[in-house]
Amino acid sequence: MQFSLTVNGDPTSIDAAPEEDLATVLRREGYTGVKCGCDGGVCGASKVLIDGEARMACGTTVGDVDGATIVTIEGLGTQDDLHPIQQAFVDHFAVQCGFCIPGMIVQTKALLEETPDPSEAEARAAIDDNLCRCTGYQKPVEAILDAAERVNGDGAVATDGGTSPASTARGTTEDGGESHE
Amino acid sequence: MSDPDEPKPDGGTASQPEGESPELEDHPLEWDEPENNDLAPDERASVSRPAQKDDDPKLVTGQAKYTADYETQFPDLARAAVVRSEILHGYVTDIDASAAEEMDGVHAVLTPWSEGTPDAKYTSAGQSYPEPSPWDMTVLNEHVRYVGDPIAAVAAEDAETARAAAESIEVEYEEAEYVLDPEAAHSEDAPRLFEEDEVENEIVGHDYSRNRMAHIEGEIGDVEDAVAREDVHVHETEWETIRQSHAQIEPHTTLAYTDEDDRHVLVTSTQVPNHTRRQLAHLFDVPIRDVRVSKPRVGGGFGGKQAMVVEPIPLALSIAADRPVLYEATREEEFHAMRSRHPMTVRARTAVTEDGSIEAIDLYALSNTGAYGSHGMTVAGNVGSKPMPLYSKVPNARFEADIVHTNTPQTGAMRGYGAPQGTLALEGHLDEVARDLDLDPVEFRQRHYMEVGDLDEIAGMMGGEGAERRIRSCGLDECIERGKDAIGWDDVEQPDEDHLHRGIGMALSAQGTGVAGDELGAAQLMMNEDGSFHLHVGGVDIGTGADTAFIQIAAEVLGCDEEDIVIKSSDTDVTPFDYGAYASSTTYISGMAVKKAAEDAKERILYWGSKLLEEPESNLDTGDGTVYSEETGASVSLEEIGYEAAYGHDEREHILGKGTHCTEESPPPFAAQFADVTVDEETGEFEVTELVVAVDCGVAINPGMAEGQVEGANHMSYEMAVSEGITFDDEGRSEVRGFDDYDWPTAAETPTIESILVETHEPTGPFGAKSVAEVPTNTVPPALSNAIREAVGVRITEMPITAEKINAALEDDG
Ligand code: FES
Ligand code: FES
Repeated sequence: MQFSLTVNGDPTSIDAAPEEDLATVLRREGYTGVKCGCDGGVCGASKVLIDGEARMACGTTVGDVDGATIVTIEGLGTQDDLHPIQQAFVDHFAVQCGFCIPGMIVQTKALLEETPDPSEAEARAAIDDNLCRCTGYQKPVEAILDAAERVNGDGAVATDGGTSPASTARGTTEDGGESHE
Repeated sequence: MSDPDEPKPDGGTASQPEGESPELEDHPLEWDEPENNDLAPDERASVSRPAQKDDDPKLVTGQAKYTADYETQFPDLARAAVVRSEILHGYVTDIDASAAEEMDGVHAVLTPWSEGTPDAKYTSAGQSYPEPSPWDMTVLNEHVRYVGDPIAAVAAEDAETARAAAESIEVEYEEAEYVLDPEAAHSEDAPRLFEEDEVENEIVGHDYSRNRMAHIEGEIGDVEDAVAREDVHVHETEWETIRQSHAQIEPHTTLAYTDEDDRHVLVTSTQVPNHTRRQLAHLFDVPIRDVRVSKPRVGGGFGGKQAMVVEPIPLALSIAADRPVLYEATREEEFHAMRSRHPMTVRARTAVTEDGSIEAIDLYALSNTGAYGSHGMTVAGNVGSKPMPLYSKVPNARFEADIVHTNTPQTGAMRGYGAPQGTLALEGHLDEVARDLDLDPVEFRQRHYMEVGDLDEIAGMMGGEGAERRIRSCGLDECIERGKDAIGWDDVEQPDEDHLHRGIGMALSAQGTGVAGDELGAAQLMMNEDGSFHLHVGGVDIGTGADTAFIQIAAEVLGCDEEDIVIKSSDTDVTPFDYGAYASSTTYISGMAVKKAAEDAKERILYWGSKLLEEPESNLDTGDGTVYSEETGASVSLEEIGYEAAYGHDEREHILGKGTHCTEESPPPFAAQFADVTVDEETGEFEVTELVVAVDCGVAINPGMAEGQVEGANHMSYEMAVSEGITFDDEGRSEVRGFDDYDWPTAAETPTIESILVETHEPTGPFGAKSVAEVPTNTVPPALSNAIREAVGVRITEMPITAEKINAALEDDG
């Protein structure tokens, strides 16, 4: 069957079975920035924006999103011209293996659209289902808070464009702790 | 292929008897360090700068290629699925695969009896040769020993067809008795997992009649003698650790095909390309040169990919189906059929005088290696050989371990490699002893711990890796001081509510850097005519940033911009040999090989610089993309040198550098961990508000990346303290089938982690570096146990620490 989707701004017609999951279909179409880390719907690696909302592509069938507007990680910045969120992740050393990162950046984009100035707790809550094994979440959370500033400050990337991980998050813990019942 | 009597110790400790221990003069304190290795901070141009990660632009834009992302390049790619044992123990008596074979879109089906299924014994452990792990596995099994043992495999046109075909295969078993508890397994009347003839390359102390794959021990001084003394208190405690999953987000994934030259090519998510190549050559009975293992971006390894876990099946299928095959483990397979951390019971015993002098330390570990023995002996060895040397001033020390099979999933290498289990026991135990004797727990440790100049004999008591060593760098004091400051050790305010109690606990840790006497890294550098470079290195970046560290090291030597170096790492057809990413060796071993390669090239660059500048080489150095003269200030750019060398009139040369590094050294990095906890004495509920960990990693080649390593390791360590790991139901089946069953701390459940890098200078490492990524994996369980003891007076020795356990202990107490 043919489905019409707008992917990263391009209207396309995609041939797929209606029950196929969107992650598989997007990857087949070459959007391999969409990662698959679980058997479905749990790890957050496959998050994409579907009509502006961050959702796990693997847990969504193509049939359900016919006509939708999709943004994958490929739709944000390019290697020469990173999106401010991507630049913040780079500058804060928030990327290690990078496998969870596309999903995390897409989620951050959705967060900042809703909550332009998140607290640390809100940043942590936003990526609570973006599982990352490498970073301990410390630097991604710092990157998200810094990205908020960059995006708010008229979207400009820090001019040094390089390595100035000002520890925005450190020492501002509001609710970093965990309760174990 | 292997001499079964002589597996070399590796990946950790040696536990094979190694003959005489080295003499003291083998470890002189003086180290002949090249001048350029000990640059002062203001002399370093590339090293110790937080340079942006080389692959970050690719990673954050989704352009980076992990193994599965190559799917779009192979139009006729088939997908693999594996049929796995549904019983804990028994024999496959019949397999009916006819339905699968007839299914549309199925390209190949393999069973243990198929011609295309390799039948040689091997170990999945990715270790040096000969492997210090028993060869106790086959690719597809008739004798199955855990739920998840591979029995048959299918390749089909898409993943769904492959799965459906696998599900249609009917397996008949003859069930055998099983055993799950390592203590029960280690007895003569327990069900046996292995008959003698089912294992090759057996390991020291094996006794398969009681399911023991190895027994190891080592001693210095005389522990029993010390314990029997009248002036000592003898303390004994017992500790238990979880079965932790690597849970790397990218599953084990391999793409295999045979190329136009009949050579087998594997694109695979691995930490050990060269070991994998050797092991595949053995299994498929082909020359090593006919196997090519290439590692693209890897989505995390943590030891789970220091193993040849999935590669043989897609290769066998691709040969049978005559087309490329991609195999991605499902997340369910990740939890029950890949690898996990060895769960252990560790007993600690000490003899301590009234005034707090430790006369003897004695550790015993019972390790549950699960159904197969990969990394079993060496991980257990590290339970002793990593943490115990921290207290190098203690005169009597002993370590002993039994490594036992049970019908549970396979264990393997995992970040920390035995040290987390040993560190919990030792650091929890010493804290308890200090409290018993009313001594300050920090001062008590300080009296016995390592200092620069110490000859560490404890590390050598089992021979082999970590063999006796001189301590040439040690920042323990500073780690403790800065950690205390950061967490507020001296000023702990109690909460207003009477039922809440706050406590800070601390623990120390030491690891190693590489495997002494059993490591090899190599690198090549070639210069282009525009003055840029190609760096080829066997070292394996699995997401840690190793490639970037290599570039920084080379750039420091060559005096060029990092952007002028293009790196290619870990492709056995292209890059030089390397043992792989494990044992905290990458920056230290492979990094030193890179440094040597760069120096080799620099020699030739100076030669050409001298020709062009008409000054003696001894006046010249590299910097800012030039060769310049210290005497006259004249300079010539690397680009001019590149063109001159390639296209010169009277003489021409391709400027190449090569470097190979191996060493007998394995300097320990150190860590001091602090955990701040508030406990509700009415319910046992607790909240960890902050973790602080200070690490002495020598010179941090890239401080930003090093901090990231420390924080990620500490998160993994926190999980060991508060999460259940992989658990089993009453019938021995894994209760964890996906991430949602695996109860680990998510972003919102993780406390703030503060990482502190304490800079020392390790003269044996490149620009003073030693390792960083493992030592902070060891420390949260003991620090948290100690913090809870401080807060409410109860001691939790069995991980994970839960509210129920605290509550029960409080009730017992009260
Ligand atoms: S693959 Fe989609 S959430 Fe894990
Ligand atoms: S960076 Fe590796 S999983 Fe997040």
